[in-house]
Parts: sequence; structure tokens; C-alpha cells
Amino acid sequence: MKRPATAVVLAVLVLSASPALAWDPFREERHPEPAPPAPERGPDPAPFIAPPPDIYYVTDTYVADVVTSSGPLTTYSTSTVHESTGSYARVLDSVGTGVASAFDGSAFNGRRALADGRSVAGTYYENYVLTAGGFVPVSVVFFQDDAELARLLAATRAPVVTTSTPTISSTPSATARPLAPACCATSVTSVVTIASPTLLPSKPIRPGISLSPISAPLAVIEVLRGREVTLYPRAFVDDREVAVQSWRVVAGDGGDALATAGSGAAPFRTSWRRLAPAGAAYEITLRIEVDGPETGHRTVDATIAVVVRSPALER
Amino acid sequence: MVLTLVLAPLLLVALAGALQLGALRVAAARVRAAADLATLVAVNDQDDAELARSGALRLSADAADVAREYFARELELSSSLLDGAVDEIAAAADVAAYPSAPAYDVRTGTRYDHPVVRIAADVPVRTPVFGALVLRPVTTIHVLAVSSPR
Repeated sequence: MKRPATAVVLAVLVLSASPALAWDPFREERHPEPAPPAPERGPDPAPFIAPPPDIYYVTDTYVADVVTSSGPLTTYSTSTVHESTGSYARVLDSVGTGVASAFDGSAFNGRRALADGRSVAGTYYENYVLTAGGFVPVSVVFFQDDAELARLLAATRAPVVTTSTPTISSTPSATARPLAPACCATSVTSVVTIASPTLLPSKPIRPGISLSPISAPLAVIEVLRGREVTLYPRAFVDDREVAVQSWRVVAGDGGDALATAGSGAAPFRTSWRRLAPAGAAYEITLRIEVDGPETGHRTVDATIAVVVRSPALER
Repeated sequence: MVLTLVLAPLLLVALAGALQLGALRVAAARVRAAADLATLVAVNDQDDAELARSGALRLSADAADVAREYFARELELSSSLLDGAVDEIAAAADVAAYPSAPAYDVRTGTRYDHPVVRIAADVPVRTPVFGALVLRPVTTIHVLAVSSPR
């Protein structure tokens, strides 16, 4: 009796069995690394794909656009690093100052403009990555290479040279930019001299903020979240640096600053624990006070944009 | 009685296999965490001179070495699960640092828009129960970790 019953039970179990979903222990270990592309089976198993003309292997890689100022001269350049990322590139277009290009707006780093609105000179490159299907264009980058002279140079130097009367410092806005182009500086000078021969404008003060006492001032910096950074308020007259008497934060999110004001000898130390909204940056304005023989007692505002980043995993 | 004798070995095998799968899952999670942490530490290692010069974040020159070192340190905590010396496993890992962006991963073809540290490693894990069940006594876990400042 037991044997037939056991046989019946086993038969029922076997007949009623169905596939069950099993737990796959390696499901999450399957990383997104793409499988090598299978060779296409066609009449020609290895068709020749002609590379784009004048393409070359990249050995110097774009890092950032750099704008440096030395006295009246503002230089627009591109910093690179000597290393290879495994990509290729070719020259698309070399453009001069103010010359429009068909590739304007296509570069991921954009194309800057001079103070008068003209686009800077430089070269457009297209980057390629070599895949099994040939060279695939992936991005366009613009390497800027230009310079301009501050147009107030002549307007501020000429009165000093041509006038021997004692000067009385006025207090124009230090951030105001001259409007006359360089070609017209002489006429501007004469107008200033005639209109107010004894009340000459002070030399413009060019404020800036740098990450070290001797490095060039920067307009934008990237910092890691929570990492303390030291910002040095700086001020320049012509090509000379002048001493900063004091500074204070007047606008923007200064982060977790140790102090929001200080003397010229004490830099601004701070850190940011929060990331700015996507695509945005913290803009901080420092009011810099100078008081020297060639500047008089004046204040100027320096602004810097801070992009806070955080180490994160990529998926 | 007969039914018990027939089914007991099957149940024991199933139980042992389930326990081994669970242990393997734990080991895989720890290995992945080790790689993730190593890349995060390496990304945190920035070139301060370049930052002062250009204002841009750029990985320090030894970022890949830092990632490999910390990968070994993190694996050390799971060394009893591994079938091999952690130093050898870390040394065999494919660690790449792309200090500036954009860059293209020569291994995966991925485009990176930020400086990146990437670890791709094959980590052998002991699975003795599988070996007793005429399966692989060592299971290799493939791990890929990529980190960047974003």
C-alpha cells in the first residue's frame, strides 16, 4: 500500500513541476563593460574605412581655457597637458579675431569674446575615437589664442606724461571698463585733459582673486566639496601688484568661512559642504580696499565663481 | 524512511548551495565596495599646483598608484574570502587614471567629461562548497569601478 502511494505522490510531484525563477548571484556583477563588437559578416570581412583627412594621434590634451592679465595685456590661451587619452583629432578651422566660423557654437568649451564683443582667435579641432567601425567624431574643442590691450592704458598714462600739474585722485568705479577702442585712445586722452586738467582719473585698479599669493588671478575655480581652499584677494595697477589693505565678503555664498573679512595679509579661507545646483556655481564678491600712494584710498570688487564638485561613482 | 533517505541528501545539497551563493554574494559586495572606495580616494587626490595655476581640478600624477594601494588595503579586510594574495590581485588589476577631461577609456570606450580613476579587476573568491559539488572551487568576480569629481 505504501509503495503505490509513494509512487503516486512522486508522479504527481514530477508532473506538477514547473520552472522556477532562480536567484542569479552574478546579476549585479555584470558590469556595463560592452562586449567586443562582433565582426560583421559580409562579403568583405574587413572593409577598409578611410580615416578622416589630416587626422593625427593626440598627444597633448586640452585642460582648460586660460585668461591671464599682465598689466594692460590680457592673453587668451589654452592650457594643455602632454598626455594621450587614446583619441585622435584633426584641425577643422583656424579663425582670426572677430572672424565668424561655421563651427561657432559647436565646441564644448565655447569661444570667448574680447571686451569689445569680437570673438577671440583660435583653432577648432574635432576629436575622434577609434572604434571597430572606424573613426567616430565625438566632440569639437576650441583652442583660443589671442590677446588684447586694455584700452584705458593710453587714457590713463597720457595725462601723467603730458601734465605736470598735481593730480587729485578721483574715485571712479574701478570695475567700469573703458568704452573707447584702442585706436581712439589719443582722442579720449585729449578730451580728459581739456575737460579737467587738474582732476585726473586715478589709475584703474584691476582686482583679482587667486589660489596662491603668486599665481595668476582666476575667474572660475573648481574645488572639492569640504576641501578647504585659500583665496588671496589681489589688486594690480598697470602691471604692478599693489598691497591690499583689507577685504571682506560683500556678496555670494562664502561657504564655511573662518572669517568673512580680514587684512591684506590674511587670505580668505573657506570650504563648501554643499554642491551648487546643477550647472551653477557659487559667485563670491570680495570688496578689496587699497590705500597706496598711486591709488589713494579706494575699494574695488573682485568676483570669482566657485564650482564645487564631489568625488562620485560613475555608472 | 526511504523517502527521508532519498530526499535528505538533496535537501542538504540545496542548503549548502544556497549558503555558498549567499557567501559569494557577500564577497562580491565587499570586493565591489573595495574598488569603489579605492577610486573615490584616488579622485580625492588632486593636483594642487594645477588648481592654483588654472583653477581646474586635475588628478595628481600618482592617482593610479593611490587607487591600487587603497584597493589592496580594502581587499585586505576580505582576504579570508579570496583565493590569492591581495597584493597580487591589486597588482593585476587594470587601474587607469585620466587626469583631465574629456578623455576616452581605452578599455571600455567610454567618454569621460571629468577627470576619472577607473579600476577593472578580476578577483578570485573561494567557493569550496561549489567545489565539493563538482563545480568551480574558485569563482572569479569581475569588478569595475569608475569615480570622478562631479
